[in-house]
This record gives sequence, structure tokens and C-alpha cells, in this order.
Amino acid sequence: METLNALLHGFAVALTPMNLMWGFIGVTVGTAVGVLPGVGPALTVAMLLPLTVKLDPTGALIMFAGIYYGAMFGGSTTTILLNTPGESASIATALEGNKMAKRGRAGPALATAAIGSFVAGSIATLLLTLLAPLVVEIALKFGPAEYFALMVFAFTTVAAVLGSSTSRGLASLFLGLLFGLVGIDSQTGAPRFAFGVPELLDGIDVVVLAVGLFAVGEALYMAAYTSRLPETMEKISGSLMMSKQDWKRSWPAWLRATGIGFPFGTIPAGGAEIPTFLSYAVEKKLSRYPEEFGKGAIEGVAGPEAANNASATGVLVPLLTLGIPTSATAAILLGAFQNYGIQPGPLLFQSQADLVWGLIASLYVGNVLLLILNLPLVGIWVKVLQIPRPMLYGGILVFATLGAYSLHQSWIDLLTLYVFGLLGFAMRRFDIPVAPAVIGLILGPLAETQFRRALSISQGDAMVFLTQPISATFLAVTALLVIVPWLLRRRATAQGRR
Amino acid sequence: MRRSAAEIALSAGVLGLGAFATLVTAQLSGEGGYAGIGPNFIPAVVAAGLLVVGAWLLWEALAGGWRNRGAPEAGAEHAFNAPAFWWISAGLFAHMALIGWAGFVLAGAVLFACVARGFGSTRVLRDAALGLALSLAVFVFFVKLLNVNLPAGWLQPLLGSAGI
Repeated sequence: METLNALLHGFAVALTPMNLMWGFIGVTVGTAVGVLPGVGPALTVAMLLPLTVKLDPTGALIMFAGIYYGAMFGGSTTTILLNTPGESASIATALEGNKMAKRGRAGPALATAAIGSFVAGSIATLLLTLLAPLVVEIALKFGPAEYFALMVFAFTTVAAVLGSSTSRGLASLFLGLLFGLVGIDSQTGAPRFAFGVPELLDGIDVVVLAVGLFAVGEALYMAAYTSRLPETMEKISGSLMMSKQDWKRSWPAWLRATGIGFPFGTIPAGGAEIPTFLSYAVEKKLSRYPEEFGKGAIEGVAGPEAANNASATGVLVPLLTLGIPTSATAAILLGAFQNYGIQPGPLLFQSQADLVWGLIASLYVGNVLLLILNLPLVGIWVKVLQIPRPMLYGGILVFATLGAYSLHQSWIDLLTLYVFGLLGFAMRRFDIPVAPAVIGLILGPLAETQFRRALSISQGDAMVFLTQPISATFLAVTALLVIVPWLLRRRATAQGRR
Repeated sequence: MRRSAAEIALSAGVLGLGAFATLVTAQLSGEGGYAGIGPNFIPAVVAAGLLVVGAWLLWEALAGGWRNRGAPEAGAEHAFNAPAFWWISAGLFAHMALIGWAGFVLAGAVLFACVARGFGSTRVLRDAALGLALSLAVFVFFVKLLNVNLPAGWLQPLLGSAGI
């Protein structure tokens, strides 16, 4: 009952004309930018962050939620028509979606992606509504030691357990943590790693890192390695309508994928990559038409797209209730909160209930807006896709530099941006994951603060992390996550040798 | 056995950063108050982490190459195109140099034209004109509607008299 009241109150906030307008602008801009090839949700959110500097927090965050969702919807259009997945979470969609488009079934592919995203997004938002207050109840009991242990868990899963290589994941994480150290120490006010440069005293902004890695790095990579390759775009021929059979094959996939995607979003599993592939595998296994997989099976689009959106919503559970980002995009969203001096966490649900519930309510509204925006108006977004690449990247870099420059009106930030661009180029080329660096930058300083607070309370006794049951549990699970796969691998190689 | 010079260089880079972070950390205060640890504790942990991971990567690079490196799909990449890389870098540096002096709009136009050149466009004047139009639109939108402060630079007389 309490939740329902809070949610209704949230709708009252989200449906005020001004906030509705911000939501609408958010989903529109998010879709328009998300459609651009090579621009994933993380970059979309980072590039559009400067748009909101002068807005009030509720309006700005509602707009950001819209951008976040819009970028997901827009990205699926690009993936299906161009076969250039903007991010790893879209690869599974590209497998079947682009094949469908090649066979002249682009319309139904886009439709099942959009409707599936809507269905999954709405159910996941409902789950978020129900789950968030419960997590808040638990999180209110957390002290600094528990938070620190939870953050160590998040670092470990994002960097070391997931991904193709533990060493490269950790390298990315430690780079992010190093960047996070730059600036004024929040506990003592001592400058660290700033070398007397005023722009560095403020710390490294997540926008500069994300835009540098994703926009500048991507532009350098694409120009150097793919600019001379021909491009093919599939046309939308025929109707957007899904046939009766398309519906029958899509909806079980949407529901199953929601069930897979949402839980994966709520745990620190590094975003939507795993649930989308898992959903793809499940659909392939359960489908009555397994022979169509690889040639354009509609379940292969419906499932991963729904899983992607459900997990994107699931990510908001730890972000809003604990202040812990579990994907690169969530880390940037957390940066947006921090720009307003807001620290998401259980207390936010009490001190700024309007803002949190307004934001959650706006997710329901945003899903509806996006369905309307993406189905009948898909023709407009296809026009955006036709921008030639020289113009496209020229425009992206004009926006990318704008975001960095607007921080201090200083060229130093532009130099930092370029350095991160080089880093992003190398990471892309050498298969080093980017998300741990972005998460490390934003979560590192928070973890340090909790670590030192916990030790202050315990008068410097480091055993505090092991004597508190919740904290000890998190650390034990973290240790198991590292040790068990390693042992299994050792056993496998030992048996392989025999 | 595959050995990549770039992998070795990058691993050494991580090691070098770790060494650098160690040096900087050595100069930080260890004064800790109640916690018993100061502002230098976590930097030391991060520096140590970079050193360990750097050494690990270097070992991988020397012993058969980095593990599980995803190879690009066939036909998804061509050989490194150096001019394209340098055009984009040059555009970004020109933009850095110009923005505070010539202003956001002109710097943006130069950046746009350089990036387009890097992506293989040969119509430099058209690209510059497009870049000018885009930067001008962005400038007006941000300065007028969003109150973000951006330098007008050389175009100040022009933009000023247009009331922007």
C-alpha cells in the first residue's frame, strides 16, 4: 500500500506538464542519438549530460531516464538495419535481426524489438517498483563496512569474473581507480595526483572519461581500421506489421527474456551482455523452428531485445537503492546525480521521495512514449542512419568536445579527452573492456570513503570488515567467485593433460 | 608462439603507470586520525594493483600473447590507416588550440572538416561549411537556451550584433 501511494505520488510528479516535456525531450533525443551507428547508450548519456547543467534536478533526471531508455530503443534499430552493434549487449540482436532485414523482414524485426522492449521495460519497471522498497529496507541497515564490502564485490564481478580476460579486466579497473584518485581527497582535503593543475583538482569528470573512451576512441578506431570498408544498410521493405505467427512466436520470448534480463541487471554482472546471449541461447533451444536460427528467426530478436531492456531497468535497482552502478551507463547516470549533489541510496527514498518516485513513474511514461515514437516514426530514425560517416563522426566529435569543454572552459579538459581517446583506441584494438574503468572512476572514490569511515568507526581495526556478518558474507562470496572458477580451470587443464 | 610488440608496450605502460603512481603516493601524507590510515593508503593499494596487473599482462604478452583476445571478424577491419588516424588527432589538437581564441564555432568547423577528411571525405570546403553550420546551431542552442557559457571568439562582433 505504501509503495502504491508513493508510486501514485510519483506519477503526480512525472505527469506535470514540465516534467512530461522533459521526459518527452529525453526519449526523443535519446532515440535520435542512440540510432547513430557506433553510439551506444553509455555514450549517448555522457554526450547529453551537458544539456542539463541548468535544469532542476527532478526534470533533469527524468530527462536522463528518457535518454537512457531512448538510447536502448534507438540502438536496436541500428543493429537490425546496419548490423553494427553499438555495444556488446546488441550483438545477440544483430545475429538474427540483420538476417531478418536481409530477407526483407526488417519491419517485423523492428516491431518485435520495439514492442518487446516496451513489454520487458514495463514489466521490469513494475518489478523495480516492488523490489526497490524492499532493498531500501535492507540497505538502511548497512554501515560503511557493509557498503565497502558490497563495492569490492561489484568491482570483482565487473572486472575479474566476467569478460574474456581477468588480467585485462583488472587493468581496466585499476586504471579507472587511478583516475578516480585525481583531485581533492574528500576526507582530509589534501590534493592528490593533481600536480597543481586547477582543472585536475576537481577530479576527472566521468563525462570526459566516458566520452573520451567511447566517442574519441571509437572515432580514431573506426577511421583507422574501418573507414575504407563499404557499408550496407538494409531497407525497410513491406509492412511493419507482425503477422499472427510473429506475435505467437514473439510474446513467450519477451516474457522469458524479461525473467532472464531483470535479475541479471540487479546484480553486478557488467550490464546486459550476458542476459542477451543467455536469452538468445534459451530461445534457440526452445524454438519450434530451430532451423531458422542463423537465417532470421524472430525469437532471436524478440528475446535479446527484451532481455536488454529488462536488464537496463534492473540496473536501476542497485543504482537507486544502494548508489552502486553495475554498468558503464549506470556509472554515468550516477555522475549525473552527483552533479546535483545527490547521492543515490536508501536515504534518497526518504529525503527526496518526490525525485525518486517521480523518476520511477517517468519510466512507465517513457516506455509508452518510446513505443509510439519508435513504431510509427521509424522512418525518421532510418533517415538519421543515412548520414554519411564523415559527417556523422564530425558531428559526434563536435558534441564530444563540447561536453568536455563546458566543464571548466579550458583546453586542458580537451587534452585529457584526447588522452582518454588514445586509451579508448588501444582498449578497443586490444580487447580490453571499458566498463570496469568507468565504474572504477565513479565507484572508487565512494569505496574509499566508506573504507575510511568504517575504519574511523572501528578506531583503525581492520577486522571490522570480517566481524560484521553482512560485510563478511559479501567478502566471502567475492573470494569464492575468484577462487572457484580458477580451481575449476586448473582441474580442467590437469585432466586435459592426463 | 605469437609475440606482439604492442601488447608488450601496453603491458609495460601499465607497469610504468604503477611505478609513477607509487612515486606520487610516496609524497602523500599518511596522517590518518581515527581511521589509522591516511590519504595515501588507497593510492598505495591502486599503485600496487597496477604493478601486479602490469607484470601479469607482461608475462602473458611474453608467454604466448594476451589470453582470449577476440579476433576481429573477417572483413571487419582493414590495415591501419595512419593518415586517417592523424587527421582526426590533428583536428582535435587544432580545436584545442583554437577554441579559446577563435571561438567555439570556428574551432568546431575546423574539427568537423578534419574528422570528415579522416573518414575519407575529399570535399573539404563543403565539410567546413557543414561544420560551421552545425557548430553555429549548437552554439546558439547552448548559449541562448541552456545558458551554457561558450566562447564566441573571433565571431564575437558578428554574433554579438545578431544578439547572441
